[in-house]
Amino acid sequence: MRPENYQARSHPPSHEYELFIGPNHPGIEGNYAFKLRLHGDRVIEGKADAGYLHRGFEKLMEGRLWIQNIALVPRICVPDPVPMEVSYSLAVEELCGLEVPERAQWLRVLQLELSRIAAHLFTFGGHASTTGMYTNMFWGVADRDRILDLFEELSGGRVYHIFNIPGGVRRDVPPGFLGRVAATMDYLESRLPDYDNLFFRNQVLVDRAKGVGVLDQETALELGVTGPNLRATGLAFDVRRDDPYLVYDQLEFDIPTESAGDAYARTLVRRAELVQSIRIVRQVIERLPEIPGPVRAPIPNPLAWKVPAGEAYTRVESSKGELAWYVVSDGGEKPYRVHVRGASMMHAVQVLEHLARGARIEDVAQIMFTLDACPPEVDR
Amino acid sequence: MSEPTEGQPSAYARIQSKTTLAEILETASEFERTARDFYRDLAPKVSKNIRWLVDELAQEEQRHYDLFMNLAKTPGLEDQLKEKVKTPPSNTRFSDHIHIPDLGEHPDDQSILQYAMGREKTAMEQYQSLAESAPEGPIRDLFVFLAKEEAEHKRELEKLYYEVVHSGGV
Amino acid sequence: MTGKPKARRSEVRYEDRGSLLAPLKNLQFLFRPPVTEPLEPRPAAEIYRGFHLNDWNACIGCGSCQKVCDNAAITMVHVPGAPEDPVKGIRPLRPAIDYGRCCWCALCVDICPTSAIKLSREYVHTCTQEEIDSYFVLPDEHGIHGTPYPLGWTKTPTNDLLDLERQPMPELPPEERVDNFQEMVLGYDDQQAIIEASRCVQCGMCHDACPTHMHAPEYIRAIWRGEPEEAVRWMYRTNPFSQVCGRVCTHRCEAACSIGRRGEPVAIRWLKRYATDRVPHERIKAIAAEGKADYVTGRSVAIVGAGPAGLTAAYDLVKKGHRVVVFEAQPKAGGMTRYGIPYYRLPEEILDREVEVIESLGVEIRYNTRVGRDVTMEALREEFDAVVLAIGLQMGRSTRIPGSEHEDVKRAVDLLREAGEGRALDVPQTAVVIGGGNVAMDIARTMARFQMQKYGEVRITVVALEDFDHFLADPVEVKEAREEGIEILDSRGPREVVIEDGRIKGLVTWRVKSIFDEKGRFAPELDPEDERFHEGEWVVEAIGQMADMSLLGEDLIEQLEWVRGRLQVDEEGRTAVPWLWAAGDDVHGPDVVHAVADGHRVAASIDACLTQLEKTA
Repeated sequence: MRPENYQARSHPPSHEYELFIGPNHPGIEGNYAFKLRLHGDRVIEGKADAGYLHRGFEKLMEGRLWIQNIALVPRICVPDPVPMEVSYSLAVEELCGLEVPERAQWLRVLQLELSRIAAHLFTFGGHASTTGMYTNMFWGVADRDRILDLFEELSGGRVYHIFNIPGGVRRDVPPGFLGRVAATMDYLESRLPDYDNLFFRNQVLVDRAKGVGVLDQETALELGVTGPNLRATGLAFDVRRDDPYLVYDQLEFDIPTESAGDAYARTLVRRAELVQSIRIVRQVIERLPEIPGPVRAPIPNPLAWKVPAGEAYTRVESSKGELAWYVVSDGGEKPYRVHVRGASMMHAVQVLEHLARGARIEDVAQIMFTLDACPPEVDR
Repeated sequence: MSEPTEGQPSAYARIQSKTTLAEILETASEFERTARDFYRDLAPKVSKNIRWLVDELAQEEQRHYDLFMNLAKTPGLEDQLKEKVKTPPSNTRFSDHIHIPDLGEHPDDQSILQYAMGREKTAMEQYQSLAESAPEGPIRDLFVFLAKEEAEHKRELEKLYYEVVHSGGV
Repeated sequence: MTGKPKARRSEVRYEDRGSLLAPLKNLQFLFRPPVTEPLEPRPAAEIYRGFHLNDWNACIGCGSCQKVCDNAAITMVHVPGAPEDPVKGIRPLRPAIDYGRCCWCALCVDICPTSAIKLSREYVHTCTQEEIDSYFVLPDEHGIHGTPYPLGWTKTPTNDLLDLERQPMPELPPEERVDNFQEMVLGYDDQQAIIEASRCVQCGMCHDACPTHMHAPEYIRAIWRGEPEEAVRWMYRTNPFSQVCGRVCTHRCEAACSIGRRGEPVAIRWLKRYATDRVPHERIKAIAAEGKADYVTGRSVAIVGAGPAGLTAAYDLVKKGHRVVVFEAQPKAGGMTRYGIPYYRLPEEILDREVEVIESLGVEIRYNTRVGRDVTMEALREEFDAVVLAIGLQMGRSTRIPGSEHEDVKRAVDLLREAGEGRALDVPQTAVVIGGGNVAMDIARTMARFQMQKYGEVRITVVALEDFDHFLADPVEVKEAREEGIEILDSRGPREVVIEDGRIKGLVTWRVKSIFDEKGRFAPELDPEDERFHEGEWVVEAIGQMADMSLLGEDLIEQLEWVRGRLQVDEEGRTAVPWLWAAGDDVHGPDVVHAVADGHRVAASIDACLTQLEKTA
């Protein structure tokens, strides 16, 4: 800066100070900075500072063939990649008028719910660690790995499955796979009392999380909150139920809600959703063997594939909330424009800034993690 | 075709009267020589685009001629001949169904080949029949050997015949 | 939204106070096995997407993996010593993987036309700073570390991304085509053409295999984009006989097509036909004229024979500004494409249009002018700066078996020429055709049509020396001939034409026991035990063709050099005589697209030569 351009900054009174959280810190799954203005240990104002994970996905996708983007989309959200793959595929299918075979739809539901379970286990671990309960974090990560084992077996990839492509899925389930899914579900269910004892019913958590980061329903709707964060304010809104896709209308499951809208409520909603996801997975295991193939509708040679001109907005319920792809095609071999409507965008920016105001410094990380934002969804 | 070749009865009679291996070989060589000279004389009479064929035939006869001459000079001839007669010549061939034409002044490539194949066939058959009538021993072995040589030559010509005549069939 | 039914609440009550004692229950874990995984290496899942394996024997170097790779992680690397065969569609290129870029999506596996690429079940590669190059790998079947890891992700029918089936070509059913000369192949419509064109992976094997190196990937892509005019523009850069080739080309391109490795090759020939049919004739003429010189060089070239080779040379030379005169013995141009190919395969009007395109550029064709009779080579030499000999193979060979001198033993080429002139053949009720090539099929099917018109039934037998495993004719031709009621017998050696009272009764054949010797040369062994008689009042010989070189005159024949009966030319098509070039079937054997390639070759050589004269003058 040239000296002539320097303007003396008006400094806050001496009892106010700034604190930078991040971009690397335990409050969030990824790199994301949060700048706080503090008065003592009270937050006066928080300013979200995104961009550390900006990889230009939306722009990159404009330069790639429709098929090539399937390798890119799951990378937008590491902990919960399947909704990305599915909703991108749904968008392309809508543009092309592709009929997805029923078996593929069931397989997509299976993956979506497994992915939700894995993501929630991760979030419990994260929330626990922000309150100093690291054992729960280890457990969460270890149990998530069992889901990743299943994904490896199903798709060949543990984290980035790249398994859903426009038209369906790339392969059918391997022999005996559904039995192993069932066993893993039984195992996870048997673990729940342990989690309850260690974490959800732990006096420490209750004391730390209750009344922290309280979001009322009206504000939540104003700020564009979706997913478990919204349901923790008492509104039973879930894309799977209210705008059904795939075969969710054939499945029985509940939409758990809480009313308090605080950090504890959000965590409890996720715990209840995990139970519902296990329930859905079990229904898929039961139904899938009767549903005939194929698992993929024929698509053109991917090197010579023009998607008809038009636009599609396809939303799914991810573990974070409403996730949607807005895809525009000009009839070419590559998308004209794509946009990811990630739930985390709202949760990590306006909601976080709103909730941080007046919070105590030690609760900021907890608030962030219970909002379960995924920075790559913000940055893209 | 002014000169006599082994394709005529007199040649058959002539070779039958020979008794020693060297004599037989010499007579056989003589036949090859006359054949070679026949093709050499023919060469300038045909168009240049088919002259290669006549030249090749002359060369082949020359090769036979040299082979027989050298054989006659080789010490321990019997042993060598015995060694070479193990494969019997084949005789159900394609060329058996091709007319032997009377080569006029300006034969085409096909007639030359037909003529040459017919000639080799006759030679082969004569050597075969000589072999059958000869007593067990080196002389029979020699005839068998000669028959085999002619059969091999005939076989080569058949391949050439196909390449020239039949392989334009698209 | 508030009107929605209130969902069931979760079972852990928010109202619960929680318990300080609850976590203590987990002390029991001190006595339980740990939840963490053991430290031993864990075998990967059966379809794990690990490191690349490439079967070098199957890999053809087409580069489809490189094209589909979303991270540009694949580079096609030239491997010295790897097999290379443009005709079969094999390049000595193999994919090298940059694991700094690879994202293990396995799209390369899913698209691979040969199924050569697979992924292993190997999990880990790591190295020190000094070995950082080890992330750049040229995988073979042993994988990144040469260690025997089992296969992981492979191609299965489910994840195969290629469409292995071609669009069916609509054609007239046998009963609707056997009594007329209407074109039997009907051609693709727009939709079929676009779908068929979309199957192409743009590897360019077709381009390499094509004798005249047509820009097939480019025109296929243009057709796919719905731009047939652009496709035609690509075609006319290399082939002024595109309309003809779109119908009767021997399509070496399709034999080399990568998609054909596992499926049906892209119908490149039919796509070419589609584009030329789709673009109006006047537009084709305008496209063909693009790039024509707007000056005249003052040099002139005579071309003997208005077949594909001669007219291609004429097309090129006239575009370079030279004066070109073509001498044609027949009343119409096209050579063997007109007088050798029946109309049901190549309609007359297509050929007329093709010739008109070339004539419209300023090529002068003198019809009914036989060189050697109406004008001598010597005269051409004096009047023109260069002469091209493109006379083709107009004469049919005879088997010369006993009886073959009978007047009802015909040559296929003569009969086809007669039909090509528009005359109806006076076919008898029964006929035997000797030969197993496409000419044999053409004449058999032509006679079948006349027989149908005349007698209402087809009684034709085709006897071929070759067995069906080594058949010369296109399998499609054999299939269609059979559909039209023609009997085709393989492995039959003609022995004698049977004549009674001066009339042909039929043909006697012996079975061919084996056809090739151990070196692969033709050496048929006949079995006299298996003799058969085939009834026929005509015996038609369709065995081989030759050029009638007598038009050159003995002096010129003597001056020229010959290789085993064929005119010797260098790689530019020049003969031993400085003013004479030769091109087409008479030099390189019978095939339209080879003739076109030859025409280009001599035209380039002549143009270079004439330009050189210009400079030295």
